[in-house]
This record gives sequence, C-alpha cells and structure tokens, in this order.
Amino acid sequence: MTTNTPRSRVSVVIPVKDGERYLGELLRALEREGPEEVIVIDSGSRDRSLEIARAAGAVVLEVEPSEFGHGRTRNLGAERSSGELIAFLTQDATPCPGWLDAYREAFTLDEHVGAAYGPHLPRPDTSPMIARELTEFFATFTPDGRPVVQRLGDPTFHANVNACYARACWEELRFRDLEYSEDQAFGADLLKAGWTKVYHPGAAVLHAHDYGPLEFMKRYFDEYRGLRSSIGHVETIGVRSTVRDVRALVGHDIRWMGERDYPTRERMRWAARSATHHSGRKLFSALGSRAETLPPGLRRRLSFEGSDYAPSSNGHAHDAPGEVHRLPLSPQPARIPAHEYEPIARVLADGPAPLSDPIPGMADRERLHLAFVIPPFSEGSGGHNIIFQLIARLERAGHTCSIWVDDPLSHRAHEWPAVVRAGVREHFADVRAPVYKDLQHWYGADVVVATGWQTVYPALSLENVRARAYLVNDHEPDFYPTSVEATWAAETYRLGLYGICGSPWLQQLYVERYGGAAEVFDYGVDHDIYHRHAVERSAGTVVYYSRSTTPRRAVALGVMALHELHRRRADVRIVMFGERYPLPTPFPYDHIGVASPEQLALLFSEATVGLSLSMTNYSLIPQEMLACGLPCVDLQGASAESVFGSDGPVELSRFDPAELAGHIQRLLEDAALWERRSEAGVEFVRGRTWDHAAEQVEHALRSALRERETAPRESL
Amino acid sequence: MSRATDPQGTEELLQQEVERLRARLAALEDELLEVQAQANDAVAEWQDRAYWLDRWHLDLNALMERPVAGRVRALLRAVRTPLRMMRIAIRAIRS
Repeated sequence: MTTNTPRSRVSVVIPVKDGERYLGELLRALEREGPEEVIVIDSGSRDRSLEIARAAGAVVLEVEPSEFGHGRTRNLGAERSSGELIAFLTQDATPCPGWLDAYREAFTLDEHVGAAYGPHLPRPDTSPMIARELTEFFATFTPDGRPVVQRLGDPTFHANVNACYARACWEELRFRDLEYSEDQAFGADLLKAGWTKVYHPGAAVLHAHDYGPLEFMKRYFDEYRGLRSSIGHVETIGVRSTVRDVRALVGHDIRWMGERDYPTRERMRWAARSATHHSGRKLFSALGSRAETLPPGLRRRLSFEGSDYAPSSNGHAHDAPGEVHRLPLSPQPARIPAHEYEPIARVLADGPAPLSDPIPGMADRERLHLAFVIPPFSEGSGGHNIIFQLIARLERAGHTCSIWVDDPLSHRAHEWPAVVRAGVREHFADVRAPVYKDLQHWYGADVVVATGWQTVYPALSLENVRARAYLVNDHEPDFYPTSVEATWAAETYRLGLYGICGSPWLQQLYVERYGGAAEVFDYGVDHDIYHRHAVERSAGTVVYYSRSTTPRRAVALGVMALHELHRRRADVRIVMFGERYPLPTPFPYDHIGVASPEQLALLFSEATVGLSLSMTNYSLIPQEMLACGLPCVDLQGASAESVFGSDGPVELSRFDPAELAGHIQRLLEDAALWERRSEAGVEFVRGRTWDHAAEQVEHALRSALRERETAPRESL
Repeated sequence: MSRATDPQGTEELLQQEVERLRARLAALEDELLEVQAQANDAVAEWQDRAYWLDRWHLDLNALMERPVAGRVRALLRAVRTPLRMMRIAIRAIRS
C-alpha cells in the first residue's frame, strides 16, 4: 500500500492567520529539521506572518478569509505540495528536535501506514489544567513510550495540530470540507479504509492553546460543534454530573500542581481558574454539540471563530461509542445518522415509485410541467449553467418548471430557497421557476428530470409523475476509481429514464452500453457574449483552461505539452485560466484565475490558440473559444470527434504532450490552417444557441412521454 | 331498449362518451397545469420577497411564536396605547 522509506521527501503545510507570535520559532525549528518543502497558506493575516514566512523561504499561498476551511485549505496545501509525506502543523506548534526523523520512521513501521501523529507538549507558561490534560492524554496512547501502530478498532483520535500523511492515503480520502474536526473525521475514515496510523512520541511539538477563560469556552464550543458534525458526538450535561466531574478535574489539577511544587498562592489562584475552566468547558461543549438548536446570531457569539455554522440535526456519526479518545468527560453514544446513500437504499429495497397512468395525447400538449432535480451547486458550475440555460428557455416556450435541490448531506443547508433562487438568477439564467430544497414538498409533474447520477435515485422515488428523463452531461462513472459510487453511477443509466445526452458520444454509451433510450442535444453558446470582439489578435498567445481541481481536465498533460511548446517556442505567451490559484509550472505564464464570461470573450478574441482538454464529454469552453474565432486543441478518442468531427473546427491530438505541443505549434505557424480552423469554428457554433438546445430537450421530453403512451400496458 | 337491439348505435354512444371523457380529461389537465403554473409563480414571487429573510435565516413565524416575542408584543401594545393617547392630546392642544 505504501512505499515510504526513511528517506521519503516531506512537505510541511502550515495554515496561518495572524500567527506571528510563534511562526518565526516554528519555521526556525523546521529549518533545523530539514523538510524538503514548507508551504504557508495565509488566510488574511494582518500582522507580520506573511513577512516572516517569506523571509524563512517558505512557499506562500494566500487565500481569502472567506475561502478558508479547515479541510478545504489543507487539501489545497496538499495539492500544491510535492512530498511523498505531507506534514501539517498549526501556526503555534513548534516541532521538537527529532520530529521529522520520528515521522519518517513512523511510516516504516507498517506497510499500510496512512498517517502519523505525535504528542503536543505544554509550553513552559501553559496553564496547569492544559499541561496536565495534554500530558495525561497523550500518555494513554503508549504506556511504554514506544511508537504504536493503530488499526481499525483502536482510537480514531487524530489532530492536524501535528500530523503527517502518506500522499497515497490523502489522495484516496482527502479531508472532508468540514467547519471543524476534519482531522478527527480523517482519522476515522482512514482506519475504515484499511490504512493504519501511528502514534510516535518522538514526533512531538510544543503546543498549547492558552487563552483567557472566555476564549477557552468559545473554543470548546467550536470543537464540540465540529465533533458533532464529524463523528456525531453529543456531550451530556446535568447538574449533578457536572458538579461531580468538575470537582474531580479540579482535584486532579491541584494534585498535579502539588507534584510540581507550585507555590501555595499559585495553587489557589489556579484552582479557582481550574473550576471556571472545567465548568465553562462542560457548558460550552454541551452547547456546541447542540449548536443546531441555537439561533445563528448566538452561535456566532459563542464561537471563537465567529462562525454561525450548525451541524445537521442528525449529525454524521462514524464511530462506535467511546472510540473518540479526545473526550475525557463522559462521552455519549454517537447517534447513527441517515446515511448518504439512503435514497439509493430506498430504491433498491422498494423499487421506483409507480408512474401515473399515461393520458392519450399528453406528449403533444402545448404546455408541460417539468420538474428538475439538481445537485447542490456553487457559482461557476458548468453543468448547472447548462441546466439553468435550458430551464429558462423551456419556460419561455410556455412550459412550467420547478427546481428541486437534492442535498442529502446538507452541504449547502445554510442557503435557504430564496437565496438559492436569487443565486441562479444572478449567476446563471433568468429562470422563473421556484426553488425547493426539500422533496417532502413534492407535488408532481408531467416529467421529472434527473440531472446527475445522485439525483436519479430520489427522482425515482417521486410519485405523481408521468415520465422520467435524465439530462446526461457526462459519463459520471468515469469520475470515480473502482468503487461503489462508480457502480451506482453506471447503474443509473439502466434504470429506464429517458436519456437526454449532451453529445452523440454520450448517447451512444447510453443506448449501446447501457441499453437505454436517448436523444442528443447540442450545447448552446451565449452569442451575445462570445463573439469576435474588435480587438487586435496577438500573433503568439496560447490560452489554456487549466482547471486542475477537475481530474478529467488532464492538467498534468496540458502543462507537459505547454512545457514542450515553451522549449520549442520561448517567445509564445502562455495564459492560464479557470483555477483560482496559480499552478507551479516549469515555464512562465500569466495567471488569469477564474474570469467572468465577458473577460474570457475578450481573452479568446485576442489570443492565437486555445487549449482545452477533456478526457470525458466535451465542455462549453471549446465552443466559446470557437465563437470568438479562436481555433483550439482538444484530445481525440473520446467525445470530441462525435461533436466536432475528426477534421472539423477543433484540432484533435492523441494523448501525448509532444503531439499536443505540435498541434498548438502548427496553429501558431501555419496561417492558412489557422484561418481555416477559425472560420470553421465560427461557422460551427453559428447554429448552436441555447434556444436550439432547449428545442432539442423539449423534443426529448415529449419523446419520454410518448414512450409511456405507447408502451405495453403491463410495463407501465 | 335500443342498446339491446342496435349494437352499432351502442358503439357510437360509447365512442361519444369516450370522446367526451377525453375532452373533459384534457380540460382538467389544462386546468391543473394552469393551477400549477399560478402556484409556481406565486411561490417564486414570494421567494423574491423573502430573499433577505432567507439570507439572514429569519423564520418570522417561528420567531414570533416564542414566549419572548409574545412578551415583546404585549409590551409594544401596552406602550402603544398611552403613546396614541398622548399624540391625540398633543394634536388637540395644538389645534
């Protein structure tokens, strides 16, 4: 499973915000330990953190404070790192001598080690409550002081204050996008996935969260709110049990101070503080694990991070009771939540809901009621843009539409329906349809349209429906390695929904591989935005859609091709867009980031050649480039030929960086070829409008209804 | 009587009944669609109006059902009466 050795390359990732107090000390300690790479991710520091990090030679990434997420930001750091081992530290955790060697050793103790972690030692000025707790807590992992390999059934505790991961393990599991406790969730996920983790006492850091009493309480609120979200833990509270627990803990603290010869006066002072600390902890941890019952304003005030996030009321339990090693105060059995794939389980157990009886002539009625079940989304989602453009046009054609957001894990529960609808209208298309976020309100439709594999199963459970259709924008099993998800995604094509496919390639798969009935629609182009703008076209500019967070975009291949191009033609300007953060490349380029459609239209009108790669279905980008008169290069062998033809407006290349570079170079240097492709491209997209796409989709929806009308009675 | 004696007439009558029912069904379907369209428009319009409530996660009904809200409403009512009387008195004095 792992090939890590005592010589494995180590990257260290440190998320930072206003961390100047310990950051210099931490980076000096890392210089002593000698990892191959140090990455600091700053999320809006207003102190000297950035200056300190740059002076220490760390790679500095900056993210907007609003973009920060404990899991999300650490995933970003891991993506940007190159080591076989990826260590994470918090900005106030200073590695002790031998830290890095201990981690390297940890990954050789078992062939399945996915992660390792070490103890947090108190700093000299740490309060006795925290010092005692840290020392006693970490001592429980290794009574004999030797490294311990932990397997399924052992404590799931894991903390990104001081942890290290095998790249293969992180790539397989990645941190969940949680507000808090992404590390605890990873610890549980890792053991379940068959990896092991190592507690190595030598991989120690100096670390203590010493705050004022109120700050401590607020941190506990955040921490237990996160535990509720990640592992489903709910902290119990009662008057008697709280008095009993607090008295016991204060007694421990007093004994601890006695053993360390604290002066009597100090002991008395800390005893009073200890009572406040433990009482407040009990109260705030109980409140944190019930955060969803508090109003958002109060949640924000009780939170150290000022966040009003609330875990869903059913939590996300992943562990058996008592597995959470971090909870010294009477852990409660975790509640078992409704699991992620409940709609699938329902369909597998009960079968699809029966369809309403067909009515003669229903396929030819002028107006239809169409309901679209969509996955949650964020601004800039290409697949959702297609859905909303189609809905807006179907509405203009007189049909009544409704939009149903299926969000079983409540990933976007904070967005209430009116806000979702306003977002659709602002960022995608001017739809009239209402938006519902709860299928409990379902009131029927002529055709229900599933729009992604996860939405097929809830769509199958809906009643009072005459036909079901499936808007297929990509071959989604390809998004996964061999897995349950890949199998269930493939299964959706066999469930009898009428396919409306985004390319002839997809239609062929739907019909021939999966045995379904399907029609094709052509993606539209917004010609008001994407056309040849009156700007001078450069003689040597290549524009590349480098969306590295989408694996099917083959960005590693694209970067290799551009590297080769740069080697051959160093004078060519390379511009990359589509990814918020710049990618490390062996050639210089201009980073545009995530640009607006208007900015992209200008860029495409100025550039010489476009590069947009897709290993699955083609996307809107090549069409938008063509509409601006920009010839582009894509990969052959998948869907592109089915749309553009083998010698159409798009230059198609084999999966080879040198050949890709050759195609780009040909377009840069062969004026006649460039002219031919450019003209062919403009001609190709001329008839590709969203109105036309909506007409095709409408035809397919009527076919879905007609199929029901003509189907043999027993199959209805 | 004629049913028993005139099978062709019966068939015609049945056919007419089927046609009538089909027409009625189509009319009801159209009516249903119109109701759904109007309901959709109404919900969409209210979602437009409720934007800031949803944005701030304010469920006014739930908020107003809380005991504290009841006490605040009672307090406002109690304050409103003397204020109204005072306003009337001031107006009377000024006139």
